[in-house]
Formats: sequence, C-alpha cells, structure tokens
Amino acid sequence: MTQIIAVHSFRGGTGKSNLTANLAASLGLQGKRVAVFDTDLASPGVHVLFGYTHEGESLCLNDFLQEDAAIKDCVHEVTPAPVKAAKGHVFLAPASMDSDRIARLLREGYQVEKLNDAIFALADALSLDYVIVDTHPGINEETLLSAAIADYLVMVMRPDSQDYLGTAVAIEVAQRLDVANIQLVMNKLPSQFSRDEVRLRMQESYEVSIGSILPLSEDLLTLASGGLAVLEFPNHTWSTAVRELAQALLEASPSA
Amino acid sequence: MTEGSFPNLEALPRGPLTMALMVQLEPPPLRRLLKKGLRRGLSTAELRQCLDADWGLALESESASSLLKALQDRRWFISSADADVWKTHLGS
Repeated sequence: MTQIIAVHSFRGGTGKSNLTANLAASLGLQGKRVAVFDTDLASPGVHVLFGYTHEGESLCLNDFLQEDAAIKDCVHEVTPAPVKAAKGHVFLAPASMDSDRIARLLREGYQVEKLNDAIFALADALSLDYVIVDTHPGINEETLLSAAIADYLVMVMRPDSQDYLGTAVAIEVAQRLDVANIQLVMNKLPSQFSRDEVRLRMQESYEVSIGSILPLSEDLLTLASGGLAVLEFPNHTWSTAVRELAQALLEASPSA
Repeated sequence: MTEGSFPNLEALPRGPLTMALMVQLEPPPLRRLLKKGLRRGLSTAELRQCLDADWGLALESESASSLLKALQDRRWFISSADADVWKTHLGS
C-alpha cells in the first residue's frame, strides 16, 4: 500500500524542499519507488535538487491541474545513479516555473480534489511505495488536503520564535484533521544552540514526535541546491540524520 | 450515541465543501467521516464500520440515513453509482 508523506512548514525558508528531495533519495536508496509532488505551485523549487529542467513539450503538474493532461504524462523519472544502483526509483511531478503559468494558477485556481485523485492514480499506475508531497508554506486548501490525506506529516521548522508560534498553529489544524503521525523536524540548527535544550523546548511546545534535529550546515550551503546532500555528502551529520528519519518512516510503514 | 457527537444537520452550511470548512466542522466524528472519504474513498463496509465506531449507528438506521442524505444533498459525501465507494467531494 502506498504511503503518503506530506512535508510542510508554516513559514518559508525552513529547508522543506531540500528535506523532501533528500528523503525521497534516502527511500530510493532502500530500493523504494517514490514520487515527489511539487505542490508549492506559487514558488516551486524541488526540481532543482534533482537537476530536472523543463524541456519544450514536457508536461508538469500545472498541465494536469489546469489543462486536464493525464497525470502519468506530467511525471518524470529523476532517479539519481546511486538510487538506480540500489534498484530504487524517484519520480517527480514538477510545478511550472513559467511566470505566466504561475500567475494564471494563482488567478484561476484549480479543483483541489484533483490533487487527491492524481496522487492515488499515480500511486497505482507506477506501483509506488511512497508519495512525498512538498507543500506550499502556511495554510491553504492544498496544504490542508495534503495533511488530511497523509499517512505521515513531517513538519519542518527552524529555531526561530516565529516558527515556534506558526508551527503550533499548523499542528493544531493537523490535529483537528486527525493526522495520526506527525513528525517534527528542526532544521538549520546553528552549532551554538544546545540540541538538548531545543529538543526540550520542542517537547514542551508540541505534543508530537520529534523526527529529527538537523544542523545548519556550511556544506549544504555550499551545495546551494545543486544536488542531494545524502548523495553528495553521505557521511555528513545532516545526511545521516535524514537517512535515519527515512528509515524510521520506512519501519513505521505497514507494508511499504 | 454520545450526546453532542452527532451533528445538527439543520445547522450544517449549504455551500460547497472546502478543506477550510472541513477543519471548522463540528463535531469531530463528522470531520473524521469526511476525512476518511478523501484518498480513495470508503467502501460500504468501511462506511458501516465508521458509523458504528463513531456514533454506534447501523448504516440502515434512521439517524445514519438522515446524516448521509444531508451530506449527499450538499454534495459533500457522494456514493458512486458504478462502484462501491463513498467519496468526499471538495468544491462545487
């Protein structure tokens, strides 16, 4: 049975897309078939991490949502070589980077229910083990839907007071939707912060599982979204922690 | 049935269902039912189980029929004629 993972943050700049792409690669390295949906339609970016560039006639998620293209035609295989060697697959449903199309989507909107149907249709068509939904920050119809249909909601935040407040709101909404498995991820933790103190504050602020605490990394900044840290720096603390999070999700999945 | 757990059907809004509206709906079992109707929807057996678990209702009971009729009238929760599936419908 395909497991749905929604990766969400209340505010932008948390490293949500970076985590999404690296989680996908980590699950792929375990031989899993994974699809990533870029539903951050107003500010897409996860495709960059997979080195995907839109070419000519190739379709994207916008074509499914606004033009009735078949979802399987809007998805592209982006499996990195090490994942392929591990017999895993990574597929990507990218969002359009064309400014006119972004503006049109924001202006006209789309039937959010189509997103639900697309995820499950693709899960069947590609025999997927996991679908990871990279959401738009904040709360809107798509993010609420993504949270509601997710088997796992990974909430990403930074050690920032605005993030602490916003994340509380997002978790409260998710709990109203009975999202069973919420994993909180603290990302970009500066080295001068005490991990134990941060963990304690997270535990006291939210009654949800703490999935991971990931360090702010100079190496990741150097990578500048030009690749996947779990592949480029496999022994880095950040990469190890992401692989452990992927492993925990894998072990919690019923039959994936 | 636990008192207060069954929705006041007359008070349910008339407009299309949105996720924002779903989050606001009370009581929680109603949200739960509509949430379960997302994804691939519910089979009749799953719907039966859901009604029993949350409200102690049989699918054939008068209360369950009233609830499903109220949701179907609003096009929030629709049974498919050609498949054994009850699905939550978002939008108009």
